[in-house]
This record gives sequence, C-alpha cells and structure tokens, in this order.
Amino acid sequence: MNSATAAVVALEPEPQVTERLKANILLVDDEQKSLYALQELLSTLDENLMTAQSGEEALKLALKNDFAVILLDVRMPGIDGFETARLIRSRERSKLTPLIFLTAAADEMASMFRGYEVGAVDYLMKPVVPEVLTSKVSVFVELHRKNERLKESEDKLRRLAAHLISVREEERAHIAREIHDELGQVLTGLKMEVGWLAKRLKEPQLLEKTDSMGKLIDSTVQTVRKIATGLRPEMLDDMGLVAAVGWQAKEFQKRTGIRCRTKLPPEMKFDVDISTAAFRIFQEILTNVARHSRATRVDIELQVNDDHLKLEVIDNGVGIPEGAQTGRKSLGLLGMHERALLFGGQVSITGQPGHGTRVCVTIPTKARL
Amino acid sequence: MRILIADDHPIVRHGLKQVLANDPAATVVGEATNGDEALELARKVEWDMAIFDFSMPGRSGLDLLGDMKREFPGRPVLILSMHSEDVHGSRVLRGGAAGYITKESAPTELTTAVRKVANGGKYVSASLAEILASECSSDPQKALHEKLSDREYRVMWLLASGKQISDIAKEMGLSPSTVSTYRTRILRKLGLTSNAALVHYAVRHQLVG
Repeated sequence: MNSATAAVVALEPEPQVTERLKANILLVDDEQKSLYALQELLSTLDENLMTAQSGEEALKLALKNDFAVILLDVRMPGIDGFETARLIRSRERSKLTPLIFLTAAADEMASMFRGYEVGAVDYLMKPVVPEVLTSKVSVFVELHRKNERLKESEDKLRRLAAHLISVREEERAHIAREIHDELGQVLTGLKMEVGWLAKRLKEPQLLEKTDSMGKLIDSTVQTVRKIATGLRPEMLDDMGLVAAVGWQAKEFQKRTGIRCRTKLPPEMKFDVDISTAAFRIFQEILTNVARHSRATRVDIELQVNDDHLKLEVIDNGVGIPEGAQTGRKSLGLLGMHERALLFGGQVSITGQPGHGTRVCVTIPTKARL
Repeated sequence: MRILIADDHPIVRHGLKQVLANDPAATVVGEATNGDEALELARKVEWDMAIFDFSMPGRSGLDLLGDMKREFPGRPVLILSMHSEDVHGSRVLRGGAAGYITKESAPTELTTAVRKVANGGKYVSASLAEILASECSSDPQKALHEKLSDREYRVMWLLASGKQISDIAKEMGLSPSTVSTYRTRILRKLGLTSNAALVHYAVRHQLVG
C-alpha cells in the first residue's frame, strides 16, 4: 500500500496547499430572526451557510447538496424537527449527515432520546452560547473535510489501479506480439532455408543434420508460441471472449486433469477491454480452483445478452472458507473484484466448506464507466 | 498455376517463393505485405490461387478470408499461420479456406498442399485431421475416458502425469488404498493393464500436455 501511495504522489505532484473548499452547513429554523442570529454567529467560520425555514425546504436542499452538518430546530410548524431528521436520514445521500438539534426549552430535553433515535449527534440549548456553537460546528466541518480527502484518495488509488491494469495488459500484448511475430517469423524463415538446403543435399550425414536443425527450430517455435500465449492468448484478439474461454477451459483440463464442462453462447465479438477483463478474471478463478479447491470438476457457463455478460464457474471442491470471499486478504480475489468494478461489474463468490465454490461474474457490456 | 502470396514478413515471403520455386507448375504472380494490399492485388492481377498469412496488419484472418470468398468465390485460398492447428484450424476451414498449414510445416507441406488445392481439393494436414475427427465425434460417449467419473478422470490424469499413488492420495485428500481402488477401476474401464499403457492412452488422446 505504501508504494502505491508513493506512486500517486509521484504521478500527480499536486501542491498540498490546495484551495480550501468551503463546506456546506445547513441551518433550519422557522423563525427568520433565529436564522439571522445563527448565520451571524457562524460567519466567523467562513464556510458556506445555507438556510431553510421549514422541514420541506430543508429536505429539498439535502437532496441536492452534501452538508458537513445540519442544525435543526426541533419545534417547527408542519413537519417538525424530528420528522425532518428522519426524512433526511432516510435518503441515501444524506443518511450519514450529522444533525444537531436546537431546543428552546429545558422540558424539550425530555425528548432528547427521540432525537438520538432519528440520528441526532448532539443537542444545543437556545439561546446558544456562541463559543459552544462554533466549536461544535467546526468539529463536524473538520470531520467532513477529512472524509472528503479520504474519498478523494480512494478514488485516486482506484484510478491508479485501473491505469496499472491497462498498462500491464498493453505491455503484455505488445511483448507477446513482438515475440510471436518477429521471433516466430524469423524462425519460420530459417526453417524454410533449412528445408531448401535439405532438398539439395545428398549425403545422409548432412541430411541428418538438417533434419535435426529442423526439429530444433520446430521446438523453438513451440516455445515461442507458449510464451506468447501465456502473456496474452491470441484467441482473445482474433476470435473474441467466447472462443478464448472455451480454449482456456480445454487447456486447463489438459494441464490439471480437472474436468471442465463448458456451456458457451455462439461466438461473437465485443469491446476488447471488457473481454480482457472477463478473461483475466476467468483465468484467476481457474488458478484458484487448481490451487485450493481439490476439485475434480468445473462447470463453466458464459451468457452474453444485449447489455451484460455473465460468467459462472462452479467447482465441486472443498469450498471457500468462511470470510475469504470478499478478497480482503487475498490479492488475487481483490484483483478480480477490482477488474470487474472498473467496468461497473461485480464478482460474487459463494461456497460452503465441503460443497464446492461458485463464482459469478457480471459485467455490463454497454455502459462503460 | 498463378499464385498470389501475402505475408507481412519479408523473410517468410522469401521462404515461400523459394519453396514454390521447386514446383515448376507454380508461378508467383504477386506479393502483398498486408491484408488490404492483398485484396487490392487480387482485384488487379490474374491469379488461380492465393496463399495468405492468417494474421497481418490491416484486414486479416477470417475477415479477409470472408472478403476473398465473397469476391472470388471459385478460387482457392490457402491459409498459412504462425498458430498451431488446434487454435484456428477448423474455424479457418469452416470460413472457406482451401487449406490451413502452420508456417513451420510449410517447407515440407506447402508443395503438396498447393498441388492438392490446384486440383480442386482441400488440404488438411495429418494433425489438423486428427483435431477435426475429434470435433466430429460429437457423441462424447464414444471415447472410453468419457466413461470415467470426474474423480476417476483426475486420478487417471495424475497417474498419466507420472505421479505416485501416495502423492495422488495426498493431493486429493484420499487414502492410498482408495486411490489404488480407483486405479484398478480406471484400468478396467479403459481396457488397459499397466501404468505404461495408461500413459500411452493419455498421450494419444491428448489428455495430458
């Protein structure tokens, strides 16, 4: 993780003293003069203050903006503070927004528990003490800023991971092409030259030599082919994902003795990056089957329809241990999740010890993120 | 026999011409270095047969083959490829090619292939024939090893790969005596009597690799 973070900094040497973005703070009170007072008190923080005079208005604003904190008057005509809080908290966007209730009288403190139930993080008595108000609000503003920075760095890491994946894939394809085409063709040329020579030789001893040279070239061609295919199967580019999955399953059975049954749709071609992602995830699944599952059989089904592809791989092995599915510990599994996520897809791994593992990959083929 | 050749590698084109020069009936009437050029050339020059590389820059592979078959339906196109037969062979034939040969077998097979194709036939190498035959036997019950259970199949594979009974037992989480029982059953099902025969069977049916 450290090296990745370091790489981010190296890639984007952004100045640390970035422009300070103002945080949004929402003030909700039915009385205009109370709002004025709050605005006046909080103006020292130099943040972006927004106001609402009713629950409805507050809700509307909360749907359109992200607030660092919302100050909410408990007593309001129409939707009261508690109800407003409940509604705000029920929306995805504002479900974690901190709420501070403002109460005018001591007897309202009795309803404090109700407030905490609907998501209040704090209470302030009116009239508010300016120092208490500003310090409480600034704590939440600070928290909000930290969250934003965290989100931003997560986003950067994700973009970096995506970049690394695509760079590596390009590199592999490039090296595979170079090896296969350049080296392979030269060997072919060489083979033809040796063949030409052999046709003109009569002496058995010399013919034996050209023969062994030919064989040596053949086995080198095989090696070149194996290296290139290992880096990037040419099938994927020439024939598309469906053919490549079928081929990989056959290879896997040959290499491991684990029987593969495939159910594949008719061959078709679609976006090469999505094909690559799906194919690499498939390879990773098979690697895991060979390494951990003790399976003797793998059922593979690929479905492709108008808007997404679905790859299902089921083995009959020992099953994935509880808690290992999310990939928090295994980099291989994490890589699968990340690759799918890049295209808005997902990987679900289910399994019970002793009853095999089922991996299901779905990736949208139309809308690319 | 007027022949068109297309390959993006000069060394391969040179080699092809050399091999074809041994056949007095064959004349190379044009050379192209990529797919688009090849198609262009085919429209301009008089020719009887084309020998094209499967992967070239620009239009290539099955797309190019499709274009050629559409524009010149009667004339044979022989496909040369760096890839082994099991990857593309049967698709290329289904795509209308008169033959498929890997480049490393070109020195020995090209002349035969050209003659065969010139007489209106199709050229299928011995190794491609084997692949086609196995693809045709769509009834999987025919092969004896298809009768093995999944577990027997894996034991068979491990035995064929030279693993000892004790290693297999460890790898599969079974007792050695169970593995021995499996072995007996496998040999019976496959009609074999020894491990050596089993290895031979697996290699012949390309079950290991």
